[in-house]
Amino acid sequence: MPERLRFVFRPLETLLLVIVMLLGGLGFALVTAAIQLRQETNPIPALSGALLPPAVLALALLFLHLLLQWRGVEVEQVILPIVGLLLAVGLTMIWRLRPPEAVWQQLWRGFIPGVSLMAVLMIYPRLVERIRRDWVIGISLAGLGLLIATAFFGVVDESGARLALKLGPLPAVQTSELIKLALIIFLAWYIEKEGEAVEGRARSLRWLRIPAVRYFIPGLLYVSLATLALVMMSDFGAVLILGALFVAMLYAGFETRIFLTVAAVGLGLSLLVGLVLAFTWEIPAVIQQRLAAFINPWSNAPLLIDGQPAGVTIAEGPGYQIQQAIYALIAGGLTGTGLGFGLPNNIPLAHSDFIFAAILEELGAVVGLALLAFYLILLLRILRVAVLLPPGQQFERLLLVGISIHFFIQVLVMVGGTINLLPLTGVTLPFLSQGGMALLVNLTEVGLVLAIVQRLEAPSP
Amino acid sequence: MDILWSTLLFTAKWLFIGLIYLALLVVLLAVRREMGLQVRSRVQTPSTAAGRLKVIKTGSDPHLRPGAILALDNETTIGAAQDNRLTLADRFVSGRHAQLRWDGAEWWLEDLGSRNGTLVNGRPSPPHRQQPVAFGAMLTIGDVVFELVE
Repeated sequence: MPERLRFVFRPLETLLLVIVMLLGGLGFALVTAAIQLRQETNPIPALSGALLPPAVLALALLFLHLLLQWRGVEVEQVILPIVGLLLAVGLTMIWRLRPPEAVWQQLWRGFIPGVSLMAVLMIYPRLVERIRRDWVIGISLAGLGLLIATAFFGVVDESGARLALKLGPLPAVQTSELIKLALIIFLAWYIEKEGEAVEGRARSLRWLRIPAVRYFIPGLLYVSLATLALVMMSDFGAVLILGALFVAMLYAGFETRIFLTVAAVGLGLSLLVGLVLAFTWEIPAVIQQRLAAFINPWSNAPLLIDGQPAGVTIAEGPGYQIQQAIYALIAGGLTGTGLGFGLPNNIPLAHSDFIFAAILEELGAVVGLALLAFYLILLLRILRVAVLLPPGQQFERLLLVGISIHFFIQVLVMVGGTINLLPLTGVTLPFLSQGGMALLVNLTEVGLVLAIVQRLEAPSP
Repeated sequence: MDILWSTLLFTAKWLFIGLIYLALLVVLLAVRREMGLQVRSRVQTPSTAAGRLKVIKTGSDPHLRPGAILALDNETTIGAAQDNRLTLADRFVSGRHAQLRWDGAEWWLEDLGSRNGTLVNGRPSPPHRQQPVAFGAMLTIGDVVFELVE
């Protein structure tokens, strides 16, 4: 089938992207002016340098926008502007919290490669089909292999976690971000391939349908190996995300409700194993510390295990980070202190894990709630594409489900951790937090969505 | 910091919040408008049907043999009348009994308003309603039982 390409206008996307570009420029100018004024200097000369990063963002968004118009894609004009808006707010906050080099690092290490990958996926949407047919085993094995290599040979950072793999002169790679996308692709392929066999050969025991276990084994093995490696790296946030992806994609991929039962049994078993471990073996110090901080964030006594201070990433006690986040929420109130006028750098890791607390302090709950609304719309729009896909395309549909759940669970865990509704887990907020690899992976996922979107036809009223 | 600058910064802060909410408003209006539109898939379904029927129980049809494999078309009508794609001589099969349709990915069964109904895995299929049928499913048409195989 020859591809028919004709230029179409995407007016809604144009309008939204103009708003996003204005927002980025305004945010950077506002931050720069506020910081200069607090140092009692004239802000005018610094402003020109401050407009360079938002200009890069605007150019990249414009490029993607023109690309979609040139490809003749008429549907789904909301996803790209939402991602752009989250990026604009995130970069503004990084500009506020960190030296300018951090913003450039985010742009060069995460944003530019991510946008390039998005562009490749949008120009060649058939790549999704290629991935499904030829590359899926390579991608999943590479993801798992890199992760296991990191668990053994990774670089240990200051908090004692091995998160990054350094290969020769290349910059260190956070392989725990890569494994999430690898797992989504692997599970989508695996469920599509084996799902019918598993369901078709299910044995009926009255109301309970026992699925054929041997078709499960490769999938379970993959997830277990990845989880083990992540536990060795003591990256429990990633373990949580992997588990959530596994359960969600199994649930979405099978018709019979038995798989909900299987997931529940799996959860129950892992709880049991966790309990046994808790009594016989030692719970990792990080988890003890996080739980102590969750139960009583106001305790300043350092956590002791066998008389030694344990898992001390923060000298001031386990609850210090959450205390500072709560102070930030209070200082921010409904409308915030204004960009540049709060003290968000009091929160440890305000630029990555706790960026939402920094946003709540300086921009207030109004902006925080709006960002949550954007995340929700993003989730629903991606799921909508999955629903509208034609019946045969199970792989693509599961891919979309996995991607949307990935975004959703990260937001849930991180925002819950910030406001102390959930025990704190170190994951990044998609598109907002600083972290080159996380941004690169998230942008690639958006690229996959925008490649699959091209299979939908223009709406007819 | 003089009054001019603080007024400017105050205005800019509210402009920033305002722009975020403007974007949210536009997105919400667009999402609401699109709810009424139909979006169709660009991909055409392939034409070859993958699937056959295996006879499990022959009922009162003398032509059928248990274990026999019957080929299926993309749209296979099943019934006692001669113009069906698959004609069954069982006593309890209606003239136009049921239809199996391949959409490129899976099989859909529709009961065409038969007198005795069509069962999928022992459960009655609602008449004139298409329902997906997985491979390995048992289809009961009259007294004849088929298994849908690949």
